[in-house]
Amino acid sequence: MKKCTQCGSKDIIIERKHSGQRLCQKCFIKGINKKVLKDMRKNKLLNKGDKVMVALSGGKDSVMLLDILYTFYERNIIDLCAMTIDEGIADYRKDGVDIAKRHAERLGIEHKVVKFKDCFNFTLDDIMSIDSERGACTYCGVFRRWIINREARNMNATKIATGHNLNDETQAVLMNYLEGNIENLTRIGPKTEARNEKFTVKIKPLREIPEKEIALYVLSKELEVHLAECPYSSSSFRGEIKEFMNQLSNKHPTIMYSLLKGFDKMKPSIKKDFTNEFTKSKECVECGEPGSHGLCRACVFKKEIYNNIQK
Amino acid sequence: MFTLIIADKKLEKQIPNNDYKIINLLKELDMPVETVVTKKNNKIVIEETLIEDDDEIEIIQVIYGG
Repeated sequence: MKKCTQCGSKDIIIERKHSGQRLCQKCFIKGINKKVLKDMRKNKLLNKGDKVMVALSGGKDSVMLLDILYTFYERNIIDLCAMTIDEGIADYRKDGVDIAKRHAERLGIEHKVVKFKDCFNFTLDDIMSIDSERGACTYCGVFRRWIINREARNMNATKIATGHNLNDETQAVLMNYLEGNIENLTRIGPKTEARNEKFTVKIKPLREIPEKEIALYVLSKELEVHLAECPYSSSSFRGEIKEFMNQLSNKHPTIMYSLLKGFDKMKPSIKKDFTNEFTKSKECVECGEPGSHGLCRACVFKKEIYNNIQK
Repeated sequence: MFTLIIADKKLEKQIPNNDYKIINLLKELDMPVETVVTKKNNKIVIEETLIEDDDEIEIIQVIYGG
């Protein structure tokens, strides 16, 4: 009978194909906590006294992230707050928002819910109901980043923590490479430094943890999470890359680790040759948020959407 | 017979042979191992776990798109 390679328990919940390691629930949770803390130290993600704003969707990644960062908050190492975005997706988003609210209330941390509708006067469903020029994820990503940056300043956060996992990071590397967006590759990493004083530093403590292990963590700890699939995700290019990577990982279990490791080694060279410098003086003429070409991407998209609504 | 819980549905199923594991069930359902977490009698288990008479097997899809 297979046993936990750490303690010998016969109740194993994971068998890591890439390392041959088998773990019971207790050893898995302990090991994953240790791995995340090690990655955070290695990449110097936190400073004592930081106020960290967790981008909390209510999904498994952000709930696990909140659970781990809360241990720093409990020990008075950091201050912690959370922000949830309601993009306005019928029959999907409300469950996640409610779960996020319950976690923040349970932990007693400052929490804010910000709606697309209140910021832009349209929801993601509104955008997708008109003849949109781009995919849902493109609009959603740009508007979410705009809100997250603004709210981090409003909440006086010194760091923004997002729940990006190993699957997300490898998908981002592959997508940007395949699309030739080499400048975007320079921004992928555990810590995104502020290129403008209006940007807050973003950290990704879970970027080396596979998505399935995140699910195992939250289910093992019986944390309430929203596991449903976004109705717009499968039609995106990211969805295609995700499917491709999942198929590849089934045959080659180490592929995501090696892809990210290889990318991290190449990144300094890519950064040196392809960084697009943002200067401090460049701000969007419309909204005042950072932007490189007069109008920020969110304002460009807003104009596109308003024009399409009027047609 | 065993009970399969999947996507909020409960189904009664036959055990086809004595060496029937969760991984065999996942293959029948065309669900890749990397996209699900499985439970046997309400405890998380690995996919190599044998399915026995009167077991309650729950399959939780945690990753979509593949």
